[in-house]
Amino acid sequence: MSEFFTRMGDGSGIYMTAAEIREDILKGVKEAADHGKIPDLTQEEMDYLFDIITMPGNIVGVERGREVVSTSDSGSCKMTYHANIAMERSMAVMVSEKVLGADSIDIGNMDYSYKAVKQIVHNETPVMELAQLNAVIPVLYGSMPNLGLYTKPDGPVENWSELLPLAKIDEACAAQEEAVEHAVRDMVFVAGEMYEAGADGINLDTCGASGDADFLAGLLATEKIKEKYPDLGVEIGAAGEFVLGMHGKLEYDGTRIAGLYPHKQVKLTEKAGANIFGAVVNTNTNKTFPWNIARTVTFVKACVEAAEIPVHVNVGMGVGGISMSEIPPIDVVTRADKALIEIGKADGL
Amino acid sequence: MSLESILNDAKQAILDIDEDKAVEVARQAIAEGIDPVKVLADGFSVGIRTIGDLFSRGEIFMPELILSAQAMKAAVAVLDESLVGEAAEKIGKMIFATVEGDVHDIGKGIAIALIQTQGVEVIDLGRDVPVDKIIEEAETHGAKVIGTSALLTTTMPNQEKLEIELRKRGLREKYKTIIGGAPCTQRWADKIGADAYAEDAAEGVNKVLELMKH
Amino acid sequence: MSGIRTAGDLVLRMQLAKSMKIDDAKKYVAEKLGVKPIDLSDSDRMAEIRAKNGLGRSFDLNKLPKGIEAKFNIAKILDIKINSVDLFKMKTGIK
Repeated sequence: MSEFFTRMGDGSGIYMTAAEIREDILKGVKEAADHGKIPDLTQEEMDYLFDIITMPGNIVGVERGREVVSTSDSGSCKMTYHANIAMERSMAVMVSEKVLGADSIDIGNMDYSYKAVKQIVHNETPVMELAQLNAVIPVLYGSMPNLGLYTKPDGPVENWSELLPLAKIDEACAAQEEAVEHAVRDMVFVAGEMYEAGADGINLDTCGASGDADFLAGLLATEKIKEKYPDLGVEIGAAGEFVLGMHGKLEYDGTRIAGLYPHKQVKLTEKAGANIFGAVVNTNTNKTFPWNIARTVTFVKACVEAAEIPVHVNVGMGVGGISMSEIPPIDVVTRADKALIEIGKADGL
Repeated sequence: MSLESILNDAKQAILDIDEDKAVEVARQAIAEGIDPVKVLADGFSVGIRTIGDLFSRGEIFMPELILSAQAMKAAVAVLDESLVGEAAEKIGKMIFATVEGDVHDIGKGIAIALIQTQGVEVIDLGRDVPVDKIIEEAETHGAKVIGTSALLTTTMPNQEKLEIELRKRGLREKYKTIIGGAPCTQRWADKIGADAYAEDAAEGVNKVLELMKH
Repeated sequence: MSGIRTAGDLVLRMQLAKSMKIDDAKKYVAEKLGVKPIDLSDSDRMAEIRAKNGLGRSFDLNKLPKGIEAKFNIAKILDIKINSVDLFKMKTGIK
């Protein structure tokens, strides 16, 4: 019986038979449909996904004319900080544009939170100004709402992660609500500074990382940013496939935020005024790539169908069907991209 | 009242997040001479596992999870009284920490909330905890199990460092170790020599109880 | 989509400025450049068009508009506002 090379969610290589791959595709689709209460992929789509997974060739590509654009998260700081190349960030922007062929890039600080950036924004704006003079591609500024940083001892509000285990629910909820106000203020402030430095957009990245209050902060900040700077593009990137309910009762526009999956997250994002939504589906390291990508495509297809704004799917380490490994294998990355674009109908990555 | 309806009430009390009802059912079970271990395993625990599953699907949220865990703990306390020493042999202490360099502790909090419901005393060392501190606290508290959580590929090596340090100090056989966190896998546990790996909080409960037996 | 090697940056600008879905954004840019949407990802075809319209290119930059200069032309040809271009005009008194 012939076998196909593929991978587990942690990146390790495995061989699977055609029957095993088909079975995992079906299970991944069913899991997403069950959790998200969304439709399954069609049989035709699952067959095509099988074809993508088993295509010969280490890398695969989309059909001509189906190419999509990409945005990034902390793109320019990955060269300078993560790859440890002694390069000023506006130079990294130029490398992204001219050498790597990036459609856009965002400048981010190593301390990737709006609370931290607020203190040093006067040192961040010159980087943006210089980049804007030299770059042709859109250059955004990116950071996280990171609500956890507003808790004691790092910030002014009580720590809900300590209050919740003590069953101090009301106090924990009040602390989160207070943190939202601080986070919104910081995001709007940084966005304003970046707007005045010439930024094309602001990336509110990983909204919901600290739960539903964190997601709410991203939405409220977007509203205010759009009110003050209507021309500044806003991208809201999610943190996970559903919004974790650390508060549980917070609402936006009459909809409870906790527990929302991408196809519902995007509707609130639109309502707040964002221009691009970054959908996230988490990779399960203990499941196979066929299972993970089938599940991801099912969620993404439902999200794109529901969306009136472009959806850029997060495809990187541990998300979007990509394995949780520091160097995501190119076979998996290109197959995930092709599936998300051709079956999921993603507007970007 | 039939065994079946007691078990069902026990499960339902947890799902309804009704602490008073959970305590009442536990007392009734004892009064009717029903094996407390059975009520715990086939009643209350079924409820808390369902709660854990609903949480992992985004259908209930952290406050409900915490309150249902509280209800479970109250019921377990009642059942424990009737176990007369038997329980004490089963229960042990566990150290739990997010490793150094890692500040992610939401998953750890959920795991602790569920593990505690099973009568395990969990000493939560918080997040960003150095290996030395973990070992020191395990020694101080006389823990049987050491659990570590890592959410970053860059902090996972600290789980391996714990194994190495325990071996260096001749303490490895004294403890059972369990690891968890999004990037972790059974393969990683095997590679570093951890005794167990748990994919999620619900599996963590079962694995910890298993480790406690050794 | 390969950024300025093709028309990736231009398509993305339409998503960011007008929330256009990918096919609408490509159609809009293609119409403004007088090409078919499928041409937008043809690096050879786009190299000519970008040079002709001064929209910025990766290589062969002699005397062609660069950086903010190219963005002046992009704002004009796509009929959109580009923040850095407006700021440049404001700071230099260009109308």
